[in-house]
Amino acid sequence: MTHLSFIAAASGDSSTSRLGAFFTHWLTQDALLVVALGGIATMLVRAARSERWQRAATRFRRDRTGIVALCVACLYIFIGALETFRVPVGGGDTRSLLDFAVAGIPDERSYSAPFGDHVITDTKPQPDPLKSDHHLLGTEALGKDVFVQTLKGCRTALIIGGFTSAIYIPLGALFGILAGYFRRWVDDIIQYVYGTLASIPEILLLISILFVLGPGLGSISIALGTTGWVGLCRLVRGETMRQSERQYVAAARALGQSHWNIITRHLLPNVMHLVLINFVLGFSGIVLTEAVLSYLGVGVPVGTASWGMMIDSGRGELSRDPVVWWNLTAAAVALFGLVLALNLLGDALRRAFDPKRG
Amino acid sequence: MFSYLVRRLLYAVPILLGVILLTFLLFRVVNTPEQAAIHAKGPKSTVAARAEWIREHGRDRPLTVQFAMHVKRMVTFDFEPSDQTKRSMGEIFLKGVGPSLCITLPGFIAGLFAALSLSLYQVFARNSAADRNLTILCVIMMSVPTVIYIIFGQAVLALELSWFPVSGFQWGGLGMLRFLLLPVGIMVIINLGYDARMFRAVFLEEIAQDYVRTALAKGLPVSRVLGRHVLKNGLIALITLTVGQLPKLIMGTLLIESFFGIPGIGNVMVQAIQTADEPVVLATAYLGALLYLAALILTDVLYAAADPRIRLS
Amino acid sequence: MFRSAGTTLSLLAAALLCGCDNNPHPAPLHQTRPDGSPWIVRYQSMRNDPRSFDPQYTYDQLSRKAIEGVYETLLEYQPMKTDPYELVPCILAEMPVKEDGGLSYVFRIQPDIRYHDDPCFPGGKGREVVAEDMQYVFQRICDPAVESPFEGPFEEYIEGIAETHAAAEKAKRLDYDTMRVSGVEVLDRYRFRLRMKKVYPQILYWFAFQPTAPVAREAVEFYDGQIHDGVRREDFHKFKAVGTGPYRIASYTPRSRLVLERVPGYRTTVFPSDGFPPEKTEWLKTLAGKPLPFIDEVQFIIQPENIPRFVLLRQGYLDGMSVDKDSFNAMVSPVRALSPEFTSRGMSLEKDFEICTFWGSFNMDDPVIGKNPKLRKAIAHAFDGARYSEIFYSGVPPVPTQLLPVGIFGYEKNRPAPFPYDVEKAKQLLAEAGYPGGRDANGNQLELTITDQVSGSEERQRAEFDQRSIEQLGIRVKVNGVTFAKMQDLEDKGDFQIMCGTGWGADYPDPENFFMLFYSKNVPPAGKNYARFRNEEYDRVFEQMAIMDNGPERMALVRRLQKILDDECPIFPSFTKAFYTAVQPWARRTHDNLMYEVEGGLKFLTTDAPMRERLRREWNRPLLWPAFVLGALGLAALLGFIRAVRRTKNQTA
Repeated sequence: MTHLSFIAAASGDSSTSRLGAFFTHWLTQDALLVVALGGIATMLVRAARSERWQRAATRFRRDRTGIVALCVACLYIFIGALETFRVPVGGGDTRSLLDFAVAGIPDERSYSAPFGDHVITDTKPQPDPLKSDHHLLGTEALGKDVFVQTLKGCRTALIIGGFTSAIYIPLGALFGILAGYFRRWVDDIIQYVYGTLASIPEILLLISILFVLGPGLGSISIALGTTGWVGLCRLVRGETMRQSERQYVAAARALGQSHWNIITRHLLPNVMHLVLINFVLGFSGIVLTEAVLSYLGVGVPVGTASWGMMIDSGRGELSRDPVVWWNLTAAAVALFGLVLALNLLGDALRRAFDPKRG
Repeated sequence: MFSYLVRRLLYAVPILLGVILLTFLLFRVVNTPEQAAIHAKGPKSTVAARAEWIREHGRDRPLTVQFAMHVKRMVTFDFEPSDQTKRSMGEIFLKGVGPSLCITLPGFIAGLFAALSLSLYQVFARNSAADRNLTILCVIMMSVPTVIYIIFGQAVLALELSWFPVSGFQWGGLGMLRFLLLPVGIMVIINLGYDARMFRAVFLEEIAQDYVRTALAKGLPVSRVLGRHVLKNGLIALITLTVGQLPKLIMGTLLIESFFGIPGIGNVMVQAIQTADEPVVLATAYLGALLYLAALILTDVLYAAADPRIRLS
Repeated sequence: MFRSAGTTLSLLAAALLCGCDNNPHPAPLHQTRPDGSPWIVRYQSMRNDPRSFDPQYTYDQLSRKAIEGVYETLLEYQPMKTDPYELVPCILAEMPVKEDGGLSYVFRIQPDIRYHDDPCFPGGKGREVVAEDMQYVFQRICDPAVESPFEGPFEEYIEGIAETHAAAEKAKRLDYDTMRVSGVEVLDRYRFRLRMKKVYPQILYWFAFQPTAPVAREAVEFYDGQIHDGVRREDFHKFKAVGTGPYRIASYTPRSRLVLERVPGYRTTVFPSDGFPPEKTEWLKTLAGKPLPFIDEVQFIIQPENIPRFVLLRQGYLDGMSVDKDSFNAMVSPVRALSPEFTSRGMSLEKDFEICTFWGSFNMDDPVIGKNPKLRKAIAHAFDGARYSEIFYSGVPPVPTQLLPVGIFGYEKNRPAPFPYDVEKAKQLLAEAGYPGGRDANGNQLELTITDQVSGSEERQRAEFDQRSIEQLGIRVKVNGVTFAKMQDLEDKGDFQIMCGTGWGADYPDPENFFMLFYSKNVPPAGKNYARFRNEEYDRVFEQMAIMDNGPERMALVRRLQKILDDECPIFPSFTKAFYTAVQPWARRTHDNLMYEVEGGLKFLTTDAPMRERLRREWNRPLLWPAFVLGALGLAALLGFIRAVRRTKNQTA
């Protein structure tokens, strides 16, 4: 074994498995979920104290599209949370809350159509041995209920979107502010790094990172996060430059405030709205990218329900006879719903924060 | 002007080196020498033959030496041939660039035109119901995954309505047009939502400028102000924005070329990615970065040429 | 600006109208044959680019498919005979004659078999194939520059291959004039003797396989990929082919299209006249003894995606789906009958039976699973082969009950499955193995890792199926999804616990080709015994069986070998590949011999071109009213826009 494969073994296989074991433990996941939801809530509460956010909130409340979009997005988050929150059922197994909710739905042998009364198998249309008309949206190749799989896909989408945002937003915001505030060599270095990342065709970069890290929700998030911070960083950098030329920053500096104080007290609150809008719009982009990655064969791990995978398997299923369309359609509609809601929400937020340009 | 160009070009060198280093490291870590040998020699090869390949290709030497060799290859454009098909990169690019441009260029221009028309119309009728509905339409268009557009186009327009051939490509004549219409159309639709929204925002910002208000106050008709001044000034910003989008554009063409059987670079890339064809992926990443940087510099120069207020210094 | 929009619209409309011809194929090379009869084209598809057209270098299925019509081999399979398979002479005048009890063979080539006319020959006229060409072929296989994957296997059997290869390695190049392969002894213009290192009757099958197809030294040396007199010549090692077969390559555009064209004057073989399947006898009798090929031009459209190929088939622009070993779900009917939409079009189903078996392979060196036969058997009993076949192959192939696939000597019909699907039995075996309910003596859950090739969504479903099979026993299963190359690497290094979805496709139809996979001397790196199965009795019986002629005695030994595999369970057979493919009414298959590729054996295929023409027209009437509706909508939008512009103009004015 040469040194190269040693690196691969060290960085890829063993460490991810240990990390993976940690992340897949139900307690970790529950804790992470609580922390994430709590974190978002506290952030919103704290931000709500600022005047700008209060004004935006008043405006947002009058925006009907925005409210509807917010409700839809919350519904997705709720379903995703149901699937993420796991409780032990004894014997080392865990089940998600969603599993309890759909516990009565049996698996079939293979494909069955929505409300269909038979399973599509080889020999003959089987006259309803398992009451397949229970399946609202039919079943997929392995006989799993498509509706349940679609609901479970919410979690995958939200986890990828959430983890990725948790990686790229701090990175992008921090580097953007640093570059915009300190300028000079800090700016040069940061510009160099993102210039390099932005020059590589995004999809190739994503895929090579994914090849290194191996399949997994965490790897996808890391890959998307590494490539995704560039856009936000640019935006924040520009806004920081504009802000730091304002009087109040100069005044703060004259008063002898530390850099850290200036950044956290003055600059960060003033770019937060950009971050929020970018978060919402970027989230939809991430969900769409997952579908492309699945097409290229570097999607989520085996056994994880994901819309990208469902759409991808639709490529084969559409060329069967009879056509299996329900798997693709269900996933596409679910994905479309989430992305549309997020996009509309992002727009509404932009309007709320920046009425002139919205 | 000249010194600016030189500086920009020099600035591109470290970026390119960074690109080479990053892609090289990523791929060498994934692709162990053994796997690379299996790729190159095929699954039925013996272990001894693979060991021989590893030795011959210097894959058993220290990483630093390999990297130096790799940089030398990249800089002199002496790329390794594809693992899968043994075709040289030069041939792949020369043959692939034409068909790719046949899709991207009209797609890009028609997309620009469509997005411009749509956004200008929205700016025109701003704050009306039509504007709001169109914005929502744009968002809807953005929210549909690319694969769905393609599948819809092939299943409905090509199969059910028999309007277009579903796949294929040929050079020259009206015959070529019928192969291009559907993929180009899909490419326009894919980007239309995002572009139109972005353009609308830029135009709205432009319209708030003082000179526009002055022109309108002078009594110039709105269509004239929009068509001449706003469009012209906004366009420069737009082109910079769209060029910045180029690396992302590649993602769409990958799928389109693969589904429509267009023998372009995107199609080769899909194959290279799916088979982990290391030489092709590395060379494409490098050349992609090179083209992107060149496009950036070119837009900067054009920017200066179009706007006399900007000095390149 | 509005005027320009108008012109664009009308241009678009014009383009749309001309776009209404949805035929994706370019015009054929010719309209009629030299004698005035119609020129017949066949349209097929390929999933991916071939690797190369060099017969000594390529090994993959797609390249074989591409050059199979171009390069003919010394022997070939009788296309009609599949149970058992039968070799017949192709370029040879007669079957090779065995000497020294099987230690050497004498081959005699037919006189006046010519290479295709090509500028590489003096006067551009194709030269006659001679015995010396076979010496050249084996030299090429030894040549390190050719990188032939067949050097390894031949080294073991044929005299002089190893020596020539080593000499060439040492000298850094192979000198074709001095470094000859001693095992290929040219006797006269048409005859040569092949000398073997050991008795290996299966060697004859290799002469029906592209790596031993004769190539002309002139062609290889002429097409060197270098610049001569300012013109770059093509590279024989890549995409230039000069063969002896019925077709030559007319054009090749990677990722787009490969066109083969008939070579005038081909008369090596004729259509066979026996072995016809009963349901097609009437029709095939009319073809018997006719000169080949029937088709003048073959167009392969290279398209990796299922959906476009499926659309092309439904539109009648493909004569066959040409399913290859990697894609099975396309156009395979799950109900064993086509839907009325297809039957009304006259399409029918053909069954393809691949000569391969797939299995899950246990790593016998693994401390947990390798030392515990009951655990292995428990896992084998948990795999529901019938359901697997139903889901992934529409239930067409039977569940494998043995290592050998149908059609290979030694295959037992009606053999009961060694490990029938039985969860209760599996759980009982698991308890006996020391893991009651999937838990060891300390109550810890047993965790196993299965390694599976995972890149497409269907492969993921397969992996999930494997995972769920074992998990139902209470064992926790981790899936290690890897690429094909990574999988090979892991197999070589023995870095796996259970490898799923591996299998073996016959290189040649002989039981030795399958049973050698568990011969202890073939444990990697020496060979392909990936299960690392070592059993003295097995080795002894295998060595005896390998060199025997087919007969009851050999049958008994094959059964003995299979019995050992059943008892020790280093693998559990999981699936075989067979599937129905829809076939166009104008392109009935003359044969379905899978020793040629699916829809291979191009020279034996036929196509009813006039019928295709008629049906294509019928199936592809463009539906125009939606275009008018769309156009009207577009116009309305444009008018609305203009009105809006007018209104604002009036407002400001």
